[in-house]
Amino acid sequence: MVMDLNKCIGCQTCTIACKRLWTRDEGMDYQWWNTVNTMPGRGTPRDWEQMGGGFQDGKARPGKLPSRRDFGEAWEFNHEEVFHGGKGDSVHLQVKGEEPDWGPNWDEDQGAGEYPNAYYFYLPRICNHCTHPACLEACPRKAIEKRQEDGVVLINEDRCRGYRFCMEACPYKKIYFNHAEKVSQKCIFCFPRIEQGVANACARQCPGRVRFVGYRDDEEGPIWKLVDKWKAALPLHPEYGTDPNVFYVPPLAPPRFDEKGDVDESKPRIPDEYLVSLFGPKVLDVLALMKSEMAKTRAGEKSELMDLLIAYRWKDMFGGFDRDPATIEWVKS
Amino acid sequence: MRAHHVPSAELEVLLDPDATAWKSAGGEELKLEGTPLGMQLTAHIRAAWAGRKIGSVEQVSVAAVHDGQVLAFRLEWSAANGGVEPSDNHEFPDGAAVVLPSSPEAPIITMGAPGVAVNAWYWRADGEGARHVVAEGLGSSRTLDVELVRGRGAWKDGRWRVVIARALRVDTPEPIAQLEPGTETGFGVAVWDGTQGERAGIKAFSGPLWLELQLDAVPETTR
Repeated sequence: MVMDLNKCIGCQTCTIACKRLWTRDEGMDYQWWNTVNTMPGRGTPRDWEQMGGGFQDGKARPGKLPSRRDFGEAWEFNHEEVFHGGKGDSVHLQVKGEEPDWGPNWDEDQGAGEYPNAYYFYLPRICNHCTHPACLEACPRKAIEKRQEDGVVLINEDRCRGYRFCMEACPYKKIYFNHAEKVSQKCIFCFPRIEQGVANACARQCPGRVRFVGYRDDEEGPIWKLVDKWKAALPLHPEYGTDPNVFYVPPLAPPRFDEKGDVDESKPRIPDEYLVSLFGPKVLDVLALMKSEMAKTRAGEKSELMDLLIAYRWKDMFGGFDRDPATIEWVKS
Repeated sequence: MRAHHVPSAELEVLLDPDATAWKSAGGEELKLEGTPLGMQLTAHIRAAWAGRKIGSVEQVSVAAVHDGQVLAFRLEWSAANGGVEPSDNHEFPDGAAVVLPSSPEAPIITMGAPGVAVNAWYWRADGEGARHVVAEGLGSSRTLDVELVRGRGAWKDGRWRVVIARALRVDTPEPIAQLEPGTETGFGVAVWDGTQGERAGIKAFSGPLWLELQLDAVPETTR
């Protein structure tokens, strides 16, 4: 999957599409297999980038288990009281019980920088379905599989005994523990849809046309074109050593203003070092490439890269996985 | 160690660690040791546990009785926080298991090997009951069923008292331990301290060799 961060508007439609489809069963209330966070920010779970895991110099790096509070509990609201208790005028909607101090997307729109040069962007995240999955390698029960046919990384809940070594080892902290079922769970890349030629719910539902789907080696598809041909999309935190299969087109930002309020092109609004810390040093090449391709189109020339990213034809984003899910009779097994 | 013969008992009665049958069963203090770091199955686990103590429970008191039909083990050990229900991601349940060879050649140190299984009777303190498990090597364990092995734990005053029981013989093609009064079998014990993050191969165990368990013959008069 490729996600174009220049187009993400932080609407969370992907998050809700995933939630409604996959994480409504018991023990899944606090699970958000898809999250969208404002960057820079502490993220979901809180401070996940400081929790270790993955590999360092090819060796397993110990990691921390995020607490439920780090993810954010599933809050319960006083809906009954406000909507049905006759107190609509006197009581406002609020979380029941203890006041929460974190949750998914808690630091929405805070960003960083000083007015008038403040900046932020949205970062959607799912399981990266890594080529070198730390979760799979950490599991002593061989309960995690990377499927030969499509590379999807899946937890076999029949073999999982809830030991959570996968959760420690995943440097992206995208695995949740289900305390009711006592098994670890995570994004399944909508494999039942993929098997039927239907793109992931998060991708298909995205109003911003942010997400491209397809096989990395399909030279007719968008992933190969964006990642390998144009080298315009990069994995998040490549230094974690897991070789993710989710790639990001990094965010360009509006220009800075100087003290006099004039446009200042001498340095970028989003500091280069910040983007390098997320996507590695190649991010600067990508930003330069995007600027030059944008200049081309302004000059009236064609740019395959810009055409791809604009995504004129919605279905072209899905690398052949463009079947309408309404044409399939789905059965819950 | 001896598995004392007791008069035919209701299983439900034996599962009570305070049952009369246990008063005369004697028992032994077993020294436990941590499983070796080098035998942990994945590089991640070895990296995470390097320099950490494995096997926080160092001693367990074990007794066994049988009534000609059912064999029951009673394990008792000190567990300061055993009453704490795991509710967060970094909290794990305490657990205990008795392991028996399904065939005489099965090695205990590697939890069996291909073709020579071990049979574990496994109890975990998170209310999921007991499991009947076979393994043919580290990391290969599979649950056969959750009905045949019965387990019950009671935590009081900083101590776990757990009874784990199963029928001596079970009609199944699975490679389990089939037991006979008047014979001897190997056995081993493992205890997991969940409050210390112990789970899977991170545990205290009775050592790399089988211990001996002599099952009393059923006296003539009660046959």
